[in-house]
This record gives sequence, C-alpha cells and structure tokens, in this order.
Amino acid sequence: MTGPILITGCGVISAIGNNKAETLDALLHNRSGVGELAYLKTEHKEFPVGEVKMNDEEMRKLLNISDDAITTRTALMGMIALDEALKEAEITSEMIPNIGFISGTTVGGMDMSEQFYLDYVNNDKHKEYIAVHDCGNCSEMTAEHFGKFAFITTLSTACSSAANAIILGANMLRCGEADIVVVGGSECITKFHLNGFNSLMILDTKPCRPFDATRAGLNLGEGAAYLVLETEESAKRRGVKAQAILSGYGNACDAFHQTASSPDGEGAFRAMKEALELAGIQKEAIDYINAHGTGTPNNDLSESQAVKRLFGEEVPPMSSTKPFTGHTTSASGSIEAVFCILALQHGFLPANLNWSQPMDDGIVPVHQIVKKELKHVLCNAFGFGGNDSSMLISRAGSDRHCWLDQQSPEQRPIYVLSAKQISVQQPLSEDWMTQPIEYQEPFNRSIDPSFKDYVSPIEARRMGKILKRAIATSKEAISASGLSSVDAIITGTGYGCIENTEIFLDALSKEGEQMLSPTYFMQSTHNTISSLVAIQTKNHGYNVTYAHKGISFDSALQDAVLQMRLGKIDSALVGGHDELTPTFYNILKKGGVMGRDDEMCGEAAVSVVLGSRPERKLCKLLGFTMLHQQSNASLKQNVSTFFTKINKKISEIDYVLTGISGNHESDMAYIEECRELFGDAKLLKYKHLFGESFTSSGMGIYVAAQCLKAGMIPTHLFVNPSDISNDKITRILVLNNSDLKDYSLTLLEK
Amino acid sequence: MDELIYTLKQQIIEALNLEDMKPEDIDENASLFGEGLGLDSIDALELIVMMEKNYGIKLQDPTQGKEIFRSVAVMADFIAKNRKK
Repeated sequence: MTGPILITGCGVISAIGNNKAETLDALLHNRSGVGELAYLKTEHKEFPVGEVKMNDEEMRKLLNISDDAITTRTALMGMIALDEALKEAEITSEMIPNIGFISGTTVGGMDMSEQFYLDYVNNDKHKEYIAVHDCGNCSEMTAEHFGKFAFITTLSTACSSAANAIILGANMLRCGEADIVVVGGSECITKFHLNGFNSLMILDTKPCRPFDATRAGLNLGEGAAYLVLETEESAKRRGVKAQAILSGYGNACDAFHQTASSPDGEGAFRAMKEALELAGIQKEAIDYINAHGTGTPNNDLSESQAVKRLFGEEVPPMSSTKPFTGHTTSASGSIEAVFCILALQHGFLPANLNWSQPMDDGIVPVHQIVKKELKHVLCNAFGFGGNDSSMLISRAGSDRHCWLDQQSPEQRPIYVLSAKQISVQQPLSEDWMTQPIEYQEPFNRSIDPSFKDYVSPIEARRMGKILKRAIATSKEAISASGLSSVDAIITGTGYGCIENTEIFLDALSKEGEQMLSPTYFMQSTHNTISSLVAIQTKNHGYNVTYAHKGISFDSALQDAVLQMRLGKIDSALVGGHDELTPTFYNILKKGGVMGRDDEMCGEAAVSVVLGSRPERKLCKLLGFTMLHQQSNASLKQNVSTFFTKINKKISEIDYVLTGISGNHESDMAYIEECRELFGDAKLLKYKHLFGESFTSSGMGIYVAAQCLKAGMIPTHLFVNPSDISNDKITRILVLNNSDLKDYSLTLLEK
Repeated sequence: MDELIYTLKQQIIEALNLEDMKPEDIDENASLFGEGLGLDSIDALELIVMMEKNYGIKLQDPTQGKEIFRSVAVMADFIAKNRKK
C-alpha cells in the first residue's frame, strides 16, 4: 500500500459536548465541562469531575436502545462517538463486515461490576452483567450496535489505551490487513477509578491547572472518541475526503515506575521522537503539541523535560486540554486526537485553561486561545506503567512526506526462539510431556516455582502472583532466546491482576470509599504486567497490553507479527498471563464465562520470544491470522486465502492443536470445523493438561513449539487414541476458537 | 515509646507486605526511603492509609509524608503527638 493514512471521519463525546460541533464550540469559547459531580453515585463530592452531561438512560434513548438491554456506560458513550465517526466517513452498514474495530479501555464494564459485585459473589441477581467486566465485551457491545465488524480487539494500556488503538490500526493498514479501521477508546468515570486515583492522592479538589506552579493533581473525566483510518486508495474509491492525516506515531516505555513518570521523561521523549522520525517531519515543523498534561506535579514536570530534551529552546506552542474535559483516562488519546483535528481544520490553538504561574523547569503553555494556521501537531497520551505514546497529525492536503509512500512490507521469516510457562503443570519445565499432572477438580491454581531468583523480596512486596509469574517466565524466555534484550514487550491478559482487583472491589463494596489501598488499585490495571516486565528488564521498547476475552494473547501475537513484518522490530516478547481466584472462578462460572461442562479452569503464564534470527529456535512461525464472526463459507474461504498467502497447502499440516477443553459446545465446534477445514489432519489438545484461561491460547503456541523442538507428540495430547503414531512432525497448526466467533490460526514448522 | 516503635514496625511490615522481614530487621533510626529500606512513593501512600486506619491520623497532602516517614522513630514521635485513637 502507498499513500498516507487518512482520517476520513471522527466522533467524540466528553464533558464539553456530545459531538464534534459542540466540542469545537466549547474549545473556541474556553468553556470547560469540569464541575461538581452530578451523575456518578459516590461520597466523594469534593472532587470536580468532567462528566458527560447525560445519564445512562438518556444515552440509551439517544441511541434507541431498549431499557432492558445489557449495556455499560463505557459502551454507551462509545456508541455515540462511533456513530458520529461512521456517519462522517460515510460508512454504511453494508461496509462494516469489511472494517476492523480497535478500542482502548482500562476497566471495561467496571461501572456494573462495582455496583453488583456483592450480588455476583452471593447470589444470582444481576448475573447477566458478569460478562461485561471484560474490556473486550465493552468493545464488542459498542461495535455490534452497528453491525458485524471484520475484527474487533481491545487495548488496555491505562491512559494511553486509545492512542495505542490508533497505532495498531495504522500498522494494520500499512501491512495491508485492512483498507479501513475504526480506532479509539472509551472510558466512563467509576467509583473504582475515582477512589483509585484518590488512593494515589493525585486528585485535585480544585479545577486542575496543568503546567501551573500551583498544580495539585488531576480531575477525572470521561468520554469516548473514534477515528476512521483509511488508505488513500480506499478513500478515493469511495469518494470521501480526509479530515486529517495520521503522519506518524510512536510508542515507548518509560520503564521507570508503575505510577510515576521518570524525571527526564525518557518514555515520552522516545515516543515523540519516534513519531517525528516515522513521519519524516523535522521538529521545527511541529506547530502545536497537545500535551498529556494531567495536572499532577509529576506528569507535568516529566513531560516538560521530555519536550525540552526533544525541542531544545524552541518548544512549539503547547497546551493541555485536560482543564476542559478532566482526564478522560483511556479515551484521552483519541479524544485529544479529535481536538487536534479540529484545531488543524479551524486554525486555532486550544487554551490551557486555569494556568497563571509558570512552574519551575516547566514549559509555559498557551493559556489563551490563539488563532493560527496549523499544519503538523503532536498529540501525547501517557499511561501508568510508562506506556507512553505520541501521534503526529497533519492537516488534510498538506505536503505528503508520509512514510506510507514507501514500499509495502516484505515477508520476513519469524521464528519462535523460546517459550516458557508457569501453570498447573510443573513450572518452567517440559515435564508435562512425559509426566503430566492430572487433575480431577474443576478449578486449579498454578504450581509456583520459588520466585526469589527472579525478584528480590523488597521488589516483590507489591506483586501479586500473576506479576511474579510474568517476570519469571519473561526472564527465562529472554535468557533461553539467546538475545540480550527484546525490541518489544507485548502482553495479552483477559482479566489482569484479578486477585488485586478483587481485593479493591471487595473493600470498596464492604468498607466503603475510604482508606483504600493504592497498591491494589494500581495493580488492577491490565497493563501492570507488561510495564512491570519492562521495568524489570529495563526495556524502553514498544510496550502494549491487549485485554479482549479469549483472544487477548492472539491479539498480542498479531501485533508482534505485524511489527516484525513492517521491519519495526526484530524481536518481541509476547506474553499471555492470567490468574484466577476462587471467588472470580465462581463468579465467572455463574456468568457462563468459563467453567462449563467438564472444563478444567487453571491459571496460565506463558512467555514466548519471537525473533528473526534462527540461531536458537524452537520452530519457525510460518503464518498467523485472526478471523472474526465467520459464516461457515467465509471461514473456509478465509482459511484457504491464509494458506495461499503463506504459500502452503492445507494438506501439508500434520497436526491441528485445538483448544478442546471439555466445554461440549465449543469442543463439538472444534471437531466439526477441523473436519470441514483440515480434512484428515490429526487433532491434538492441551487444555485438559493446562486448563482453560483467557490466555490459554498462548499455552497452545508453547505446547506446539515444544513438540516441534522435541520432534515428538506425547500420546496424551491426541484427541483420538487411534491417531497415535510415530510419524514425523513437520507442521502443527494451532487453532484457537474463542466464544465460537473469534478464531486464530498459527502455523508452526520444525 | 519503645512499645509504639515495635508495634509500628509490625504494622509497617504488614501494610507494605515486606515478606521475610521481622521488626528487629528495621533500624528505627535508619531512613525508610532511598538508601535505607528502599521504599517509594506508593509505600508512602500505604503508610498514610495505615496511619489513618490505626491511629486516626489523616494526612491531606502526600508531601507531608516526606518529613514524617523519615524514619520509624520520627514516625512514632509524630503518631504519639497526633494520634486520635
């Protein structure tokens, strides 16, 4: 594909307006939407917030959704913004099956979980809401209001989630995976977030004042925004015009602290620098920076340092729009990207409201609205854990020095260099091949190694089990790969640190909104795992987290493969990490999310290192694809296209490693689909050994890679005992089917 | 005061989940942050919650912690003077 990435539509909702027109009017007239709390039911009335000025019922009415439909506030706001974006880009419902949807959110349906948590634990009331806790569920709810998108996934990197959704979308277009993707994020204010930020003591009781000497914290906000990213070719074909151009972007990890930014703003510096480099635009050409500028003493100082390091004495005009909207957390990246698009289209610099005194060592923001023609602007979004991203957005029709004019990416060989696991089998070993542990109980917890070799007791003080397992498997996998470090850390997790989330929810529900522990809150964000691995391995490279049901790991793997194809990275640590507590096992079973029929549920930590140099490899990764919501005919067609693309025949597969788990309906689907798609390839299974968990598909990659390396398939992996033989193994296809609608295919070769 | 210091050490170990540490391992005059125990800003916040829970002392400004959490001895002194329970 050539040509720039166009933004052919966008939609936004926040405290300053329910659409773009209202938003523009508020920005042009310095009208803040931050004020006294009116919609969220909380005892913390002392904090000003930027709420969307509608309650859930009003949003449902606006969207024509019935009162008894299951929704979340995050999804409702998402639908409003998505509707506007689709309309502006002239996307009709017939086009949707060919368009991808990528959303960012941190706590998904937490507004429901915090309301009904004690019911989930104690009785069957509201059990139909249990499934919406999943971040991916909110994305699906948002998307499916409009039709069946070609694919859906969810990023969860705290306050940079939406920015990273935009980055993934752009990478998919560059790789030719789609012509149009809709990207952005949504997040509502919850008691969980308000109390969490309060426990970190970073909420201001007055309107926030980013970059001001007296700044004392942030105001929480909420909202959603989506952008339609489209190739030039597609936009021309459809006759739609660009609203703006996404010229570049960067993602880097600060790798400093879980909630604080480094004093020199390393992650932010790298992210902005990368965005400029990718765009091929000189720093002097930047006309405006929309700062992350939360108003906390730490962020604004760190961001100032990063900007000064990059731009020297000539810092472009810069402002934070957080005083307008509050900090819209996960959605801020896309909401502020829309503000930047409006600024480019209407020629103005939004004011940094509430600013009066310069801070020591800080930048001086634009504190009054300035009318000015703009060409190129940077938009920053940083998240806890140092997940820092920056986007470079250019005015439509400006000179094209965009990287997309370059040639299409070539297919580079990708190898699985190493893979390590901690699960219900012997940890960090392949003993399961010869001495598998068999379980009778429906839910079992991991067997943990001693973590002392991986983290010191003082480092471990705030780490739940999932974090220690992630660090141990990551360090072992990197060491086994023969690489000194990896270029990217990409993690999938369905529910993240659910043990700590549970403790925080439990305290919030039983003891109320006082004296809550900051530790449990900060560990509850899904990206804690990936960012902590970065901190532990001192890795400033690309770092993101996917949280989308049973395809969380698959989405992470997809991202790694895309970036290796683009030549952006040479290696990646791809993790799949999930823990499960007895309480949440019972809740999820009650909600029909897992633990059906004879399914054994477990916990899984898998770390896989992919690389392009084969010196120390387990196997080769011949191809990977994800397919969503397929009819039988389209599934067959798409599988056939996948094999054509990687130049292999379906008959060349020796084994299909399936996710057969004891869930009758899903097992039946696996068997029928495999017969239909792969004829007489022999079927294997692994979940009876390792258990079902959101990221167990990562365990599938691990198992297949180890079998290829060992050159043998343990007899206990065969679905049909009659298939057992000593035939040589050359290729294993790992097939994951989540929720009977999301598939991933990974073809591995000896 | 010695009793308060000992109790406080136990409470710090519990609040910060300092596995494998005993009250005797903490020098009440050594710095809790930086060079000493190596605690950070999140630990300071946990100590604020701990003081509120156990002693009814509510700190509004996290930067106050810097002074108060210099060492266990300084902390004990502050608690003795300001405790509400």
